[in-house]
Parts: sequence; structure tokens; C-alpha cells
Amino acid sequence: MAAVEITEETKQQVERIGSADVVVGIAGTVSPEELRARAGHIMQELGSGVSSLRFVFAWPAPEPAAEAAPAAEDSTFAMLPFSPPALSAAEFWAGVSANQRAVLNLAASLNARVCIVLGPDLAALDAHSIQLFAYAILERQCGLAIPVYPVAKYDGLINSGILSPLSRALYGRRVRNPLAFDFAASGALCAPLARVSPSAETAGNALLWPVTIAATQFPQVPVGQVHIGVQHKVATEGLELSAVLGQLTGSIFQEMDACASHWQRIRGSQATPTWGNGSENQPDGQAIDAQPLLDSFLLGSKSLDEVWRLLLPPNTLLELKRLTRATPDQFRIPDDVWASIVYDFALAYRLRTISRVHLLGALTPLYLGWVASWVREVSNLNSAAAEQRFEQFARAWEEKKPYLLSRWRWPDRFNP
Amino acid sequence: MWQQVEQSLHLSMGRVMNQIATLLPGILAFIVAFLFFLLVGWLLSLLVTRILSALRFDERMGRGAHAMAEWSPRATPSLLVGRIVFWCFVIAGVVVGGSALGTSEHIVSGWMLGYVPRVVGAAILLLAGNVLARFVSRSVLITGVNLNLSYARLLSMGVRWMILVLTGAMVLDHLALGGAIVELGFGILFGGIVFALSLAVGLGSRDLVSRSLEREAARPVEVAQPEKIHHF
Repeated sequence: MAAVEITEETKQQVERIGSADVVVGIAGTVSPEELRARAGHIMQELGSGVSSLRFVFAWPAPEPAAEAAPAAEDSTFAMLPFSPPALSAAEFWAGVSANQRAVLNLAASLNARVCIVLGPDLAALDAHSIQLFAYAILERQCGLAIPVYPVAKYDGLINSGILSPLSRALYGRRVRNPLAFDFAASGALCAPLARVSPSAETAGNALLWPVTIAATQFPQVPVGQVHIGVQHKVATEGLELSAVLGQLTGSIFQEMDACASHWQRIRGSQATPTWGNGSENQPDGQAIDAQPLLDSFLLGSKSLDEVWRLLLPPNTLLELKRLTRATPDQFRIPDDVWASIVYDFALAYRLRTISRVHLLGALTPLYLGWVASWVREVSNLNSAAAEQRFEQFARAWEEKKPYLLSRWRWPDRFNP
Repeated sequence: MWQQVEQSLHLSMGRVMNQIATLLPGILAFIVAFLFFLLVGWLLSLLVTRILSALRFDERMGRGAHAMAEWSPRATPSLLVGRIVFWCFVIAGVVVGGSALGTSEHIVSGWMLGYVPRVVGAAILLLAGNVLARFVSRSVLITGVNLNLSYARLLSMGVRWMILVLTGAMVLDHLALGGAIVELGFGILFGGIVFALSLAVGLGSRDLVSRSLEREAARPVEVAQPEKIHHF
């Protein structure tokens, strides 16, 4: 396993600082002045409660020499710019993950007790979030603390529709955001999380899935969740849905293949302790016109029939055929059918039934069909009810896991 | 009279037996050479596959979107290389065995032996063209569907046939069949398609294009609506 390399300049800075209790790292380029000002403000807000802890705020600076700001501001916190890993600008999530790994690596070098990784938009850089993350790791002895965002029911649909239920069914941890912008890790987990697994490295798809690593390599380490009241603004301009969907699902399928021996032994899921107060008053959102999504699904089913036939069993194809004939009001993809579709795609990804680029591209119309079905269903529910509906949806994935196990172990067995 | 017939039959029979006697060692040599190359090919392909697997060739080839593995979805890249090595030896066995017959002037003429590399080249071209046509047409189809193009299937079929026709022309040219007719025919076909499309857009769709442009010019500037659904 390869770890992210630390440049000589950054090493010198690390040596100058020596050690830290809490490392707060930003996984993206930010304005050093803004970061410094907000760090000072946070330290003031945290006050005497953390006076015994030494904080280090780290951020990727494209030119460390130019950004070589004073390393130590005062006795309680220090600023640490580091050289960002070389990345392709096209792969947004890969860039975030690489910076997260760099921060974790720095925290390991500083022998930090807690490493808090935050998104580049600095939305979670506030005293409350940092306090909650530190509380989960230091006070409640969690190895990993994952955030729960106050998302509206039409937000983060790739996460709700695929990533979260799949991760939960596979690794048995009920985590709402397995691929989060922000999270905190204990000192012991920093170094393992900073490493890139060989399988992900060779696939060129090295996203960081902290929950997967914790569940497979440290099954005894507790994982917690904290409610942080922030919403990240992802710049969607220039990002194509099929490309992002392909990158995210491709990465989770890759991890699934690499960790097959672990998740095949896991049955059911365990509740994750959660701290902080979730926002109760989420806007319910207006009704959505799902017709364009439905049209994309129908176009896909008309044109990609020959591709889907290579990936999906006859039963699922029959179900999809039935859906194409349903009226818009009746259109609903059952939870177990959607789960089995994603499982079949994961299996085809592993077996390379068709080119992986084609396989991930062929998932997009199906995903849009699921989105159409989901938004219609939750449009009349408030946020709390939608969350309950999600719980039911995720349970269906767990109940369908024996199907995945059977297909994974005996892919050539007759499957109607 | 009868004696003369008998004599000439004896002579003919002698010549046939002589030919067979001359040919038999050649056939035996052909079979031995072919089997030898088959065995060596099989052993070498096995060796190459093992070495490549040990060197994690599949994982290395799996890197990136345009990886070799993408072109050989069912087989792993190392298996593909192993098979190529095997079939190269099979072909070499046929060629060497054919020359070992020793009667190449009569049975496997020099022209045929000289033609074998062309046939091999043409077969490779045909295979590569087919794989390329399938891959590109599927890429076009999936991209088209994801861009919500209702004519994605038609587009994909067009691309597929374009590549297949191009491959066919290249194969015939490589086999030196048809001579200038292939080049001329291909030129006319391609030129004809482009000309027909130009005419269709330039004349047939002139009104349609102008109406569409007018509509675009007259359309009020739309204010972008905030998205209600967020996928990520």
C-alpha cells in the first residue's frame, strides 16, 4: 500500500511544529488569510475547554514557499501549509480524496490524537463541528466520526440511492454518508486511512472510503456519527452526471471487489451511535416534475436494451419492461429490484462482462429511473418521514444481500 | 494392343506411386512440424501467461479508461497475449510444415506461401476493425443516451457500419483484391454519403434551419432556474 508522499518543505514544517493533539486539515485549496482568521476565531470560541490541546490547521497550498506563513501563531494552535498531491482537475472526488489522505498523513507524522478533515468550502469549519468531532473521538473513544448532514429529501441522491445503502448492506455499519467531505479519525487510524490500496491505485480510482477501511481492517473500532448543521455547496458546473456517477459507483465497486472476503462474512447491520442535534425543520421542498427523468429512463430502456441484456437477469429485464409500460403515476421501481440491479452491475464490474466504462455509463438511465420513482414517492412526505422511508429502503438492500452473495460466489449458476 | 495398354497403365501407376512415395515423407514432415509448433506454442503461451500473471500484467493493464483490458472484456489481458503467442506458432507451424512438404512448386505454390502474411494481416485487420466497431458504436450509443439524444441508436449504428465498411475496404486492399476498384468504390461511397448529407442540410433542410435560427434569435433570454434535484 502506498502512502501519500510528504515533500521536503512540508517535512521541515512538520519538524518545526513537532507534535499536535488535534489536526484540522482542509481537503482543498483555500485562502490562507481566511483560514487563519477563522482558525483564530474558532480557538477563541472553544476557549479554555481546549486550552490543554495543541491544534494544527493544515491546508494545501499550491506554492508552499510563498505561503510559508508563520508556523506558530500562538501557543495553542499552528498553521501548516502542505504541497497538494498532483491531480487531474477533471476528477473532483479523486482530488478531494487525495487531499484528505495528505491531511491524514500529516496528522500521523505529527502523532495527533485526532485528525479532523474538512471540505474545501470551509462550511464545516466552525467551533461546534470541531467540538463534536473531537468529542466523538476523544471522549467517546470512536475510531471514526462521520457527519450527518441536514440534507433535504431531494439532495445527495447518488448517496441515498446507491452509496449509503450499498455500504451499509456490505459492511454492516449504518452510516448515512460513507463518502463524506468531512470526517474525523483517531490517531491510530490516520496512517491506515492515508494509504491507497493497491487495487484502487491500479484502477486509477482511489477515492477514500473511511468506513470501508474501518469496517474491514479495524472491525473492533467503533464508528460514530455526528450531526453537523452544514450544507456543502458542490460546484456542479462542468460536472456531467454520468461521469460523476461512473466515478463514484466505479470506486465503490472497486472497493467491493477488493474487500469481498470481508463483506461476505457480514450479515445485517449495526446501529451507529450518533451525537449532536439533527436539524428538525428541514424545508420539505416543492413537488418535482419527474417527467424528464422518466423520459431519460424510457430512452435508455429503448436504446440500451442490448447492453442491459448482458448485465441483468431475465427477471429484472422483465420488471424493467413492465415499468416502461406503466403510466407515469404508476411508475415505481421496487426497492428490492433497484438493489438487485446495483448488485448485478457490481458483479458485472467484477467479471468485466463488458467494458467497465460502458457498464458504468449504462447505469445512468437506470439511476434516473430510480430518481424519478423516488422523488415521486417522497414528494408528499416531510423530511423526517422521508428519512424513515430511506431506512426502509436501506433494509431492503440488506435483505437482498443473500442474492448478491449467491451471484458473487456462483456467477455462472442459472439465474432466472 | 492389349500389351501396350497394360504397359501404359503400368507406367501411369508407377508414376502415381512414385508421386505418392515422394509426397508421403513430406506429409509426415508437415504433420511433425505442425505438431511440434503446436506443442511449442502451447507451452510458450502457458509460460507467457504465467509470467505475465506473476508480473501483475492484468492489474497494470487495467489502469485508465483506455486500458487493454477494456478491449478484451471476457479474457484477461495476459490470457489474450498468451493466445496471440499460441496462434502465431500455429500459423508458423502451417507455413514451415508447408515448406517442408518439399513440393511447394506443385502443391503449395510459392505464391500461396507469399500470400500467407497478407492473409494474416487481413485477418488481424478484420478482427481489430470488428472490435473497434463494437467498442466505438457502444460508446456512441451510451454517450448518446446519456445526452438524451433520441437518435442515439441510429447514430451508433451509423458509426458501426462506417467503421465496418472502412475495415472491409482496408482488408480488400491489404489482400490486393479488386485493385483500384476498391479504392474507387470506397471513395465514391464515402464521397456520396458526405455529398448527400450536404445536399440534405443545404437544400432539403434550408427552410427548417432558417426557421430554427429565427426562433432562436426571437427567443427571450431565459433565466436559469435553480436545480431542485441534487445528485451529489
